[in-house]
Amino acid sequence: MFRHVFVYRFKYLIRDRELVFWTFVFPVILASFFYMAFFNINKDEAFHPINVAVVYGGEEQYDAPFKAVIEDASKGKDKLFNLKDATSQSDAEQWLKKGRIAGYFTSGETVKLTIKDSELEQSIMKSFADQYRSSRLAVQRIAQDHPDSLKEELLKDIGNRGNYVKETAGGNSEPDSMLNYFYALIAMACFYGSFWGMKEVTDIQADISDRAARVNTAPVHKLLAFIAGSAAALVILFTEMLLLLAYLNFALHISFGNRAGLVILTALTGSVLGLSFGALISAIVKKGAGMKVAILTVATMIGSFLSGMMYMDMKYLIARYVPFLAWLNPVNLLTDAFYALYYYDSLSHYVRTMGMMCIFILLFCTGTYLIVRRRKYAGL
Amino acid sequence: MPVFNLCLKIFRRNWLAVFIYVAIFVAISVTIAITSVHDQSSGNGFTQQKAKIAFISEEKTPLTEGFRQELAKHADFVSIPDSKEQLQDALFFRQVTYVLRIPKGFTKNILDGGTMQIEKTIVPESVENAYIDIDVQQYWNLARLYVRHDPGLTQEQLTERLRQNLDGDTPVRMNVHEHAKTKDSFSMYYFNFLSYALSAILIMGISTVMIVFNKQDLRRRIFCSPSSPLKVNLQIILADLLFAAVALVALVGFCFLLDAKSFTTPNMPYFLVNAVAFTACITSLSFLVGNLLNNLSAMSGVCNILTLGPSFISGVFVPQEFLNDTVLKIASFTPTYWYVQANTKIAKLTDFDWQNLRPVFTSTLILLTFTAAFAALSLVVGKRKRLME
Amino acid sequence: MIHVKNLVKRYGELVALDHLSLDVREGEIFGLLGPNGSGKSTAINCILSLLSFDKGEVEIFGKTMAPDAYDLKRKIGVVMQNVAVFEELTVYENIDYFCGLYIRNREERRHLVEEAIHFVELDDFRKFYPKKLSGGLLRRLNIACGIAHKPKLIFLDEPTVAVDPQSRNKILEGIERLNEQGVTIVYTSHYMEEVEQICSRIVIMDKGRVIASGTKEELKAMITLGEKITVEVFSINEEQLSQLRTLPGIVSVEHIDRQLYIKSGKGSNNLEIVLDFLKKRQIGFGRIYSELPTLNDVFLEITGKQLRD
Repeated sequence: MFRHVFVYRFKYLIRDRELVFWTFVFPVILASFFYMAFFNINKDEAFHPINVAVVYGGEEQYDAPFKAVIEDASKGKDKLFNLKDATSQSDAEQWLKKGRIAGYFTSGETVKLTIKDSELEQSIMKSFADQYRSSRLAVQRIAQDHPDSLKEELLKDIGNRGNYVKETAGGNSEPDSMLNYFYALIAMACFYGSFWGMKEVTDIQADISDRAARVNTAPVHKLLAFIAGSAAALVILFTEMLLLLAYLNFALHISFGNRAGLVILTALTGSVLGLSFGALISAIVKKGAGMKVAILTVATMIGSFLSGMMYMDMKYLIARYVPFLAWLNPVNLLTDAFYALYYYDSLSHYVRTMGMMCIFILLFCTGTYLIVRRRKYAGL
Repeated sequence: MPVFNLCLKIFRRNWLAVFIYVAIFVAISVTIAITSVHDQSSGNGFTQQKAKIAFISEEKTPLTEGFRQELAKHADFVSIPDSKEQLQDALFFRQVTYVLRIPKGFTKNILDGGTMQIEKTIVPESVENAYIDIDVQQYWNLARLYVRHDPGLTQEQLTERLRQNLDGDTPVRMNVHEHAKTKDSFSMYYFNFLSYALSAILIMGISTVMIVFNKQDLRRRIFCSPSSPLKVNLQIILADLLFAAVALVALVGFCFLLDAKSFTTPNMPYFLVNAVAFTACITSLSFLVGNLLNNLSAMSGVCNILTLGPSFISGVFVPQEFLNDTVLKIASFTPTYWYVQANTKIAKLTDFDWQNLRPVFTSTLILLTFTAAFAALSLVVGKRKRLME
Repeated sequence: MIHVKNLVKRYGELVALDHLSLDVREGEIFGLLGPNGSGKSTAINCILSLLSFDKGEVEIFGKTMAPDAYDLKRKIGVVMQNVAVFEELTVYENIDYFCGLYIRNREERRHLVEEAIHFVELDDFRKFYPKKLSGGLLRRLNIACGIAHKPKLIFLDEPTVAVDPQSRNKILEGIERLNEQGVTIVYTSHYMEEVEQICSRIVIMDKGRVIASGTKEELKAMITLGEKITVEVFSINEEQLSQLRTLPGIVSVEHIDRQLYIKSGKGSNNLEIVLDFLKKRQIGFGRIYSELPTLNDVFLEITGKQLRD
C-alpha cells in the first residue's frame, strides 16, 4: 500500500510543472544571475588604474623625486595610475570638472591633493601621497643624521620594499559573504518546497479537498497514506536540492567547504524543514488555497530577505541588533548551517543551528500530526 | 467606458501581490538608506572610512605600541577574545573586517633585519582593509630603513622617529561646488532599485489584464459587442497607462518621503524623465508578455525572471562597475541596463550643458527604442494570435 | 445493509441532521431525494464516517461504521458530488490510483481498471488528462474512480450535476446495470425525474429529516392527489365552475387564462367525469392533458413548497 501511494503521489507531484519550476528551475536561474552579478567582485582584475594628473610646483628639488615615484607607479602591468601630464593647474581643474581624472596632485614641499569626490579612488590617491610624504621625511632624517650615508643606497632601499604582512586563514576558509547569497538561495528553494508539503496535507484532509475525502473513504490508514505521500514529496524535494547543490558546486564553483556528507545532511534537513512548514500551514489554514500559497510565499520571501538573500547587510544588521531573530527564522538557520560548514573548523556553530532546525521540524511535524491524525471531521 | 472600468477592477483585485512587491521594495530601500549611503551633508571635506580591526599582539614593545597608535588613525579597534571561534564569529558578522596578529619575537626579528611577518585574517571584499595594509607596510618598511641605515638608534628613538615621519596629513582640497549632490545619494540607489519594483508591478499587473482579455471566449464576446475593436483596445491601453502612471507616482512618492532633499537638486528632473521613459518601456514589454502568454501561473514565473534577471546583470543590485564586462555586454540588450546607465550619469551631473547631457539622452533614447520595439512586437504577436484562432 | 438510527448532526446552532433514520436493503437502488441543503450530503458523509456526528448510530453490513473499519470500507465505493480526480494523472492512472487503495494485487487491479474504463465508455480516453475531458466525460471518470474496485455498496452523491442529457442517460443506465449485477446503490439527487426513473425505494429529506419514504408508488399513494387534468376552454362562467367543483372526485379547479387546472382524487375515471360535464354543458374545449402526480407533488403536498427552488 505504501508503495502504491508513494508511486502515484510521486507521479502526481513531479508532473506539477509549476511547482518544479519554483522549487528547482527558478533557484537555478536565480543562482546563475547571482553568479553573473557577483563573480567579478573580490577579484583583482576588477581594479582599473586611476586616472590622475600632476601639477608640478616648479621647484626642481621637490618635483623631481615625486615625478620619479609617480611615473614608477604609472608603469607596467600592475600600475596604480594612468598619469596625464598637465601643463597648468587650469588644465587639471578642467579635467577634474569633466570627470576625466579622479583628482590631481600638486607637487611641492608637501604634496597636495585636489579632488571633488570622496571615494575609493581618491582614498587610494591620498594613501599614495601619505606614503610618499612619510618616506621622504624618513630619508631626509637619515640623510640629516648621517650625512655620510650613501644616498643612492638609501633611495634604492626605499624602493625595495619588504612585505610585512601575510594572510592566514582564520579557519578552513575565508569569510566570503557572496557565498551567503547562494546559501540563502538554497534555503529559499527548500522553503518553496513547502508547497509540496501543502499538497500532501490538502490531499489527505477531507475537510480541505474532495480528493482527500475520497482517500478517507478507502480502507487505508490515513497516516500511512500521508506518510507515503510525504515521502514522495521529500524524495522529489531532496533530489532537487541535490541537483541544485551539484549545479552550484560543479557549474558555478560555489564552495561548500570540504564536509560533503554534512552538506548533504543539511540539504536533507532543509527539505524536511520546508515540507513540514508547508504541511503545518496547510493544516492550520483550512480553506482557501490562494491564502495558503500567499502565506507560504510571503513567509519564504520575508525569511529569505532577513537571511540576506536580497540584501546581504540585512543579516549583519539582524545579528547586531536583534540576534534572537536570527534564531527564530528557519530560513536563516538553514543558510547559517551551510555557511557554518563552509566557514568554521569546529562544528559547534553548525550543531547549534542544526539543533534549532530540528526543534522547528519537531514543532511543525507535531503540529501537523495533531491536526492530521483526526479522522472524523466536524465539517467538510 | 466599460472595458476601461473592467481593467481597473482587475488591477484592484491584484492589489495584494502588488502590495507585497511594494512592501519588500520599500523595506530594502529603507535598509539601504540606513546602511550603505554615507551621509553626504556632513562630508564637505575628505573622509576616509575607518576599518574595524581586532589588534592582537603577542608581545608588547615600544615599537608595537607605536605601531598601534599609528594604526589608530585609520582603524577602530574592537577588542575580541583571542580564540579562534570568537574571531571567526567576529569576522563572520563583520564586527571586524581585519584581524591583525603580531607574533612573538616580531620586534626583535625586525630590528635584526629579519623577514618575519604580521599575520592577518580578513573579510576579503571590504575595501577599508586596503588602507590598513598600506599603513602596516609603510610603518615596518620605514622601520627597516632606519634599522639598515641608522643602526645605532634605540627602539624608543626609532619609535619616535617613525611617529614624526608618519605624523601629518596630505592636504586635500575638495572642489565641493563641483560635487554632484546626487552622486551616490539615496536617490540614485532608490531610482536604480525602482526599476526592479516597477518592472515587477507593471509586468504582473498589465499582463494579468492582457491575459484575462486574451481569453478566447471573453475576447470574442467583447468583439461581438457593438464597440469597435479599436475602441476596446484603446480602453485597455488607457487603463494600462493609468496603472503604470499610478505605480510610478507611488514609487517616486516614497522617494520623496525618504529623501526629500534630493528633490530640490537640478538633477531630479532628469531622474524623473528617465524613470518615465523606463516606465513606458516596461509598459510595452508587459504588453508583449501579456500577448505571448496564456495562463496566469506561467506569468508569475516569467515575471520573476524578467524582473530579477536584468536587475542582477544590469547593476540594480550590484553596481555596474563591479560587473564583469561579458555580463555587461549581455546586459546591454536589456532596457534596465540603459536605465541604470542613465541614472548613474545623471547622478554625477554638475553641468547641465549639451556636452554633459548627451550621454544621458543617448541612454534614454535607447530606452525609447526598446519601447517602440516591444510595442511593435506585441502588435504583431497579438494580431497573429487572433488570426490563428 | 445500511442501518442508520437517530442520526443528529449540528453545525453550531444549525441542525443539519435531525434524528435521521434510514434503512437500505440489499440489492436495491435507494434514492435520497431532497432540495439543496436538505442534508443529503451530510447524511452520506456521516454514514461514511467522514463527518463526526452528535448522536445516533450507523451500521453497514451489520457492523458499526468507523474510520478504521477497513473491512467495511473495502466493500464500499464512493462517488463524490464534486469531481475529485488528479489533474496531473491520466484517466487510467486516476482510476488505478483510487482502485489501488482497495486492491493490492496488480494483475487483478489492471483487470478491474480496464473493466471500469470500459464500463463508463472512456476506452478512447485512457491516456487523456482530466483537463482535456468535457464535463460529461469528467463525471464518468469521477464515477469510474469510485467503482473500479467492484464494491458491494456504492454511494453516488449527485453524480449528474451539470451533465449534458446524453451523458446523464449513460450514467443512469450504468447505475442500473451495476444494480443488475447485484450491487446496492445509494443515490442522492435533487432531480426527481432521475430518482423516479431508477430508484426502487426513495426517501425524501427536508431540513435534515425524513419526511416520507417508500417506493415511488407508495409515496404517491400517500397523498390525496390522484391526477392533474388541464383543459383548454373557450368560455366558462362562474356558475359552471362551481358546479364542476362539486363533481365527485374533483378536489380543486382553477381557471386561469382560458385554462382549467383540475386536481382530482384517487380513482380511474376522473377524466371521463370532467369530459362528460363539459359536453353536457356544451362548453367548448381544446387540448386536454392528464398527468399522474410526480414526486414534486408529493414534496409539495407534504412541505407546502416546491422541490426545485
